[in-house]
This record gives sequence, structure tokens and C-alpha cells, in this order.
Amino acid sequence: MNPLFKRQIPFIALLVGLLVFGAAAPQQMVDVGIWALIYGFAAIGLSLLMGLAGQVSLGHAAFIAVGAYTQALLVAKANLNPLLAAPISVVAAMLVALLVGLPLLRLRGHFLALATLGLGIIVGVFVTEQEFTGGTSGIFGLPNISFGGRVYDTSQEYFLLLTPVVVIGLWLASNLVHSRTGRALSAVNDSEVAAECLGVDTFALRLRVFVVSAGYAGLAGVFYTHWLTIVNPSVSHFELSVKILLMVVLGGLGTVWGALIGAVAVQLLDDGLRGLIPILIPDAKGEIQLIGFGVVLVLVIILMPGGLAQLWARLMSAVRQRKHPIVRGEHETPVSQEEQRALLEESLKLLARAEHMPAGQTILAIRGLTKRYGGVTALDNLDLDVKAGEIMALIGPNGAGKTTAFNMITGVMVPTEGSVLLQGTEVAGKRPHIAAEIGATRTFQNLQTFKSTTVIGNVKVARHLRSKAGLVRGMLMLDRTEERLIDQASQAAIDAMGLTSLADKQIADLAFGKQRQVEVARALALEPSVLLLDEPMAGLSGPERDSLSWLLRRVKASGVTVLLVEHDVAAVMALADRVAVLDDGKLISLGTPAHVTSDPKVIAAYLGEEDDQSGGPATGAPTATSGAAAGGLA
Amino acid sequence: MTDLLQLVFSGLAQGTIYGLVALGFVAIFAVREIVNLVQGEYAALAGLAAISAVGAGLPLLVAIVCVIPLVVGVAVLLERMTIAPVKKMTPLTSIILTLGVSTAVKAVMLLIWGPEAKGLPNFPGSDMTLGGVSIRSQELWVLGIGALVAYAVIWFYEHTVRGKSLRACAEQPIAARLVGISPRTATVVAFAVAGFTGAVAGIVGSPIYLSSWQSGLSLGLKGFVAATLGGLTSLRVAMIGGMALGVLENLVAGYLSSGYRDAVAFVVLVLVLLFRPNGLAGKTSAVRV
Repeated sequence: MNPLFKRQIPFIALLVGLLVFGAAAPQQMVDVGIWALIYGFAAIGLSLLMGLAGQVSLGHAAFIAVGAYTQALLVAKANLNPLLAAPISVVAAMLVALLVGLPLLRLRGHFLALATLGLGIIVGVFVTEQEFTGGTSGIFGLPNISFGGRVYDTSQEYFLLLTPVVVIGLWLASNLVHSRTGRALSAVNDSEVAAECLGVDTFALRLRVFVVSAGYAGLAGVFYTHWLTIVNPSVSHFELSVKILLMVVLGGLGTVWGALIGAVAVQLLDDGLRGLIPILIPDAKGEIQLIGFGVVLVLVIILMPGGLAQLWARLMSAVRQRKHPIVRGEHETPVSQEEQRALLEESLKLLARAEHMPAGQTILAIRGLTKRYGGVTALDNLDLDVKAGEIMALIGPNGAGKTTAFNMITGVMVPTEGSVLLQGTEVAGKRPHIAAEIGATRTFQNLQTFKSTTVIGNVKVARHLRSKAGLVRGMLMLDRTEERLIDQASQAAIDAMGLTSLADKQIADLAFGKQRQVEVARALALEPSVLLLDEPMAGLSGPERDSLSWLLRRVKASGVTVLLVEHDVAAVMALADRVAVLDDGKLISLGTPAHVTSDPKVIAAYLGEEDDQSGGPATGAPTATSGAAAGGLA
Repeated sequence: MTDLLQLVFSGLAQGTIYGLVALGFVAIFAVREIVNLVQGEYAALAGLAAISAVGAGLPLLVAIVCVIPLVVGVAVLLERMTIAPVKKMTPLTSIILTLGVSTAVKAVMLLIWGPEAKGLPNFPGSDMTLGGVSIRSQELWVLGIGALVAYAVIWFYEHTVRGKSLRACAEQPIAARLVGISPRTATVVAFAVAGFTGAVAGIVGSPIYLSSWQSGLSLGLKGFVAATLGGLTSLRVAMIGGMALGVLENLVAGYLSSGYRDAVAFVVLVLVLLFRPNGLAGKTSAVRV
């Protein structure tokens, strides 16, 4: 069966199930169902925010309130048709989110959470204080929704009206998770720095998801107000925000289906506690069901951080295990070196389509680049020109400033002083995705893989800049052609690194050296003009090093500039066109491998530092001209 | 002019309460990088418990002496039960977790004390008028006790070896462990300090600002805003920031509309995060923009 079609089956089943429930269940249960659907709709939005953007809103009720009040005002006061008013109300909620998110989503950590908590209070104050929102009594006398000759005024009618809306909402949200945007944001949650170095603009994407999430809450507000036919400040209260949050957490962070399941569970819990607590404690009044919300929130986080979705996943894998026990150590078809290289040539054709600067021109101009931490200067006034189409290696003892230089060139670190011109554009001090957009990407000395996905899942993130489906196209599933191209190119990059048999493996299950190779494949998949590799040889076996060297020469031949930090000096000398040697933050030598290895300053720097800090002796025959120096270097 | 002085004075008293709550945020954040949303609840709990103790016939001073250790105990116990068992704490989980605890504590207070707001009787003393500004004796108590507690906390963390080493724990957990400070002790002390400043704020403020099951919500938010002014790391700026926030709120309430008092904190939060995300005294390392 077509996997795309297979993905739609649960939605069709849900639609049918809900319709049957709405038509057949007793009214009391349908009433609970209506609230579960209304709040569940808001929870779907919040789960997008929490799962994709990794941020939480503690005042999501504020967006429900904005939607509900706008709708009430437009319909009850301005006599607008409810169906015309609804989109305006949704946009109003999204607009508020845009205004809040614009300043706050740039910051990491807790700020959006606390600011939305404050927003909830403000919206409550505002609607209570204003004349036109009816003060504490709110706005009442809204008509029931009617269209197509039906009035949706009974529980059953309203449930049947809500059902398709919620199923479509869930479908759109689920598509978003699987789209280019969803992939990029989930990569950000695994490793922000790696995702940004592949061109993901974290802030812009998070802001969009936040706005969409508020849109979901806004539409929930519209349905809220038409069902009650009244709206008052209680819709903005903290209790409702906690309830929506609990739905998401209980269902499972980041799973949109979980949000809906969580909504049903929490609505039942809410009704149950409201009935139960007054029996246990006769004079209890007010929002006493909160105690259950609080306790369940804490218990879920401590005992079952993945929520009901985690439970479900465990159950399913147990069932699958029983049906098809996984055979460990499945055999890999050995590929001969010739076959491997033929595959690579094939793959490179697919990947090497980007236009590069003519060889020999300065592609990367570094001027006065400096990084100081208090009194310590990690990199001191570095001037370096890298020519298009060359392989330049950056070597030096530990702590010489090599990785610091890399970090500043790629925007991971803000320099204290200096400039970095990449193809003529200043990138120093800008975010990493800017450098990636101009064509520079990198790998990391300490691995930065996207641990929650597979090998190909990692590589696909690198196609972010080579594809352009936005949020809306992703949600409507109009991105299928582009997704197929992304698949092809990612597979090609994996083939090029000789990782074909591992493509569908979870990256976290791979050995260190393999993960490093995946990082190189990932960087190649971006089709960079400048490829920065931070110790790509570390953890690789001898043959793997050889084939990586061979690959890099082929990559260079296709016009890509390679900048390389590496401890395996023998490999560097064999590979690089030019070598820059850093010592103690300063550039002490620059030139061909032959020139550098005979430079007395370099020999002094290395021999002076000689101790057990460098790795074992280099594998493969050193081809450096000065044997003495190369020995000292290795 | 008298109006202005009046607003500023009573704002300083109100702001002292915010400042005390803010100290708790900073004490915990400095050690665990957790924004503890239960912070406001310590104050509400202390106020309500003290009211019950006085209602049961205990003298005010005895009630206070009993309630403060009780709240400190609750703060530490809740940390041991909810924060300590979580192995992998991310900002997202810490927020959800402390929100859950705060919600449960709110509901327990609602069950025990009901929905109405109550106030502790005034501390001894008589109100007076000074240059047209009416000064409530309770406000003087707030300012006096607040200053004393803030001074003690700052002195503990900045001038005693013990306090300094506890804070070092946050920056260098391994080094701290090597010299014999366990992160666990540092966390427990931080929560005890937070419970203490919260309890003091709740008790000393209760006669004027009243205590209810949900007063911790906005108190917590305002305390957080004050703590943000100090970049969540500076005790001094947090305390002063709290007082400034109290004054600003009073000015907005007095000159614009009393309804918008509660909006001030939010606006200040957004403005600070926009222009000085590392706090007013900010270094640039804490948060990357």
C-alpha cells in the first residue's frame, strides 16, 4: 500500500469513530465530548509549540480568550455572520502571538513561558476593565451557528459540526510535523547549533509555529463562545491554561494525536473530580479540580515524561517484537572499493550542482579576527585568505585557537574583533544560518548529530536551504514532489560516504566514527561552496580515513573549497594544498605542506609542546617532505 | 507632590514584597537554573497558615515563629519529592513540573482555606501622617523586615564562605564536589532560602495585601519580573528591581487607571527582555540573543 495513503487511515478512522459517537452516544457523554474537542483543538496547537518549537505557553487561554472575545464582539455587537467573523477572530489571536513572540522567541529558556503567563493575566485584566467587552459579566446573547439550512444548537448537532474541523486540524498539524519546517525544528531541539549551521533560521520558524499554535487556540475560542453563547473573563483564566497544558503533557509532548487523547482524558478527569471532591470534602468550592491537574502534571513528568504516547509506543514495539523478533547482527553486503567509488561518482553528480566561485579567487577573507575571554586571548588578530577550490588545513597544538576560528567563521561564536567576508559578505557576529545561506557549512569536533532521528533523517535537514516548502504548503501536503527530491539528494550524500546500508538506522545506535561520517554526509548534502570540517578523521579507521581523503579530493575537484582542522598531520600534509599553523592564538606559518613542515617556528611550536596530548601515530605513510618535522608533528 | 510621595512610599512597601519573592527566584536559579513557579505559593501559604494560627488563639509572634519553619520545610520537602527525582531536567520540564506543583499547592490551599481572601491582623504600631503622606505602621514593618531579610540573604551568599561556596556550585559543579560541597546541599539550601524569603513576604504583607489561595500567581510573576531585572542572577538588583516595580505599579494605578496595575509587570518584562536580556546590570554571557 502507498505509505502516503497509509498515513491517512487513522484520520479517516477517527472521523468515522467521532461521527458514530456523536450520533449514537447519550447526550451527557456527547457534552463531555464537545468540551474535549474544543479544548483538544487548542491543545493540538500547544503541542505543536511544545514539540516543535520546544517552548511552552503558560497562558494559552489568553489566545482562546482573544478568539472568543473577537468572535463575540463581531457577531453579537457588529452583527457579522459567524462564518465570516471566525477567520477574523483566528487572525486576531495569531496577531497577538506575533506581537508577543517577536521580542521573546529570540531568547532561550524560560522567558516565553513566563511572558505568556503574564499575557494571560493582562488579557483577563483588559476584558474585565473595558466597557465594550462587558466587564465581569462579559458578552452574551450570541446566536447559534447555522449554515446549510441547519442550526447547530443541540449537543449532537454541535458535536457533528466540530468533528470534521478537529479532524482536519489534527491532519494539518500532523502534516506540519512531517514537513520541512517540522524536520528543521525537531533538528533544532536535538542540536540547535548544528541545525543553524545547516541554514535553519530557528527564530523565524519558531515564531511561525507559535503564531499557528495561537491560531488553533483562537479557533477553539470561536467554538467555545458559540457553544456557550456567552463569553466572560473566566475564559482567560490560569485554570484553563493549566488544563490545556496538562492535555498536551499527558498525551505526550510533541505528538499531536497525544494532545487529542490527552484532551479526552483530562476532560474526564475534570468532570470526575468536580463530582468526586464535593462528596469527599462537603464544603469544598471553587476550582478544586486543579488539585488533580497539578498532581497529574507532576506525576507524568516524573514517571512518564513521554506521556500516553510513550506508553503506546512501548506497547506497540512489544507487540511488534513478538510478531517479528528483531534479528541482531544482520549481515551487511560488503561493497568493494571500486563499486564504492563508482557509487560515489554517481552521487557526486547529483550533489555537485551548486555554482561555485572560479578557482583561485578569495572566497573567504578573514581580517583581524580576535576572541578574548577576560584576560585570555584564544585567537589573536588572525588574517587569512582562503582561495576558492583549495583544501586548506588549519593545524596547531591543542588550545591553539583552531576551533575558536571555526566557530567565528560559521557564526557560532561572536568575535571580539575582526571581520569574516564570505564570498564578499560580512558574516562575523551573525547567526550561523546566514553563513549557511551564503554556502558555508561545517561539521563538529564534538559530535552534533540529531539524535532523535535516523541517518537519512539527519541528512535531510541539510536540504533545508535547497528546498522551500513553507508552513502552509507543508500543512496542506503540497510538498510531496519536493520531499521526493530531498529524499533522493539525501540518499546520494549517504551513498557518497559509503553509508548506504545504514541509511535507516537510528543515528544514536551508530559507532562514533560512523556518526562523524554522517556529519560529513550531512554537510555535503547542503551542496556547500565552503566546507569546514572540524577533525573529520578522529575515530575513523585507517581505510575509512583513506576513503575520506579520496572523497575530499573529489569534492574539491567539483569546485568546493575545503577548510579543515585535523590532528592527523600525515593525512593533512597529503591532502591539503595549503596549511595554516596556529600556536597560542597566533598564525605562525602559512604555506604549502612542504614549506610549513620545514618552518623552524612550526617545529619549535610542536616540539616544545610535544607530550602525550596528540593522538597515536598517524596511520598510512606520511608524505610530508620533511621527515623530522612530520615526525615531530605526528 | 504629596500624591506622588504617597504613591512612591506605598509602592516601595508593596515592592519590598516583590523583592523578597524575587530573592527566592534568584537563590534557586543561581544553583539549579530552574525558574521555580512555586515561589509565589510559599508567600500565600505562609500568610494563610499564620492567619489560621492567630485565629486559633496563638499570639502573633508565636504564630510567625511556627509558620516560617513550616513553610521552609514545605519548600524543601516539595523539592525533594518533585525536583530531585527528575534526572534530565530541561527548561521545558522544569517549568511544567514547578507549574504542576504550584497548581496542586494552590488547590490544596483552596480546599483548606476556601476561596475568600483574608488578612493577618496588623503588627503593633500606629499609623501616622508625615508631610501630608499617610504612613501605615504595617508598611514600615514591611520595609524594615524586608530590608533586614534581604540584607541577611545577600550577606549570606556574598560574604560568608559557606554561602559563596554554595553559589560556586552552580558554576563549577564538579569542582565544588571536589572541595566537598554537594550539589544536593546547595539545592536544599537554595529552596530553604526561597521558602524563607517567600514566607516572610507572605506574612509581613498579609495585613495590607491579604492572602488567598491564588495570590501566589501574580506575586510569583511579579517576583520573576523583578528577578529578571537582575538577570536572574543578581540578588541586589532583584531586590531593588522589586521595589522599583512596586513604585511603578503604584504610579500607573494612581495616574492612569487602577485596573492596569497588573499589566505593568508584563510590560516591564517584555521591555527588559527586548533591551537588556541579561538584566539591568547585565553581562553578556547568560542568554544569547
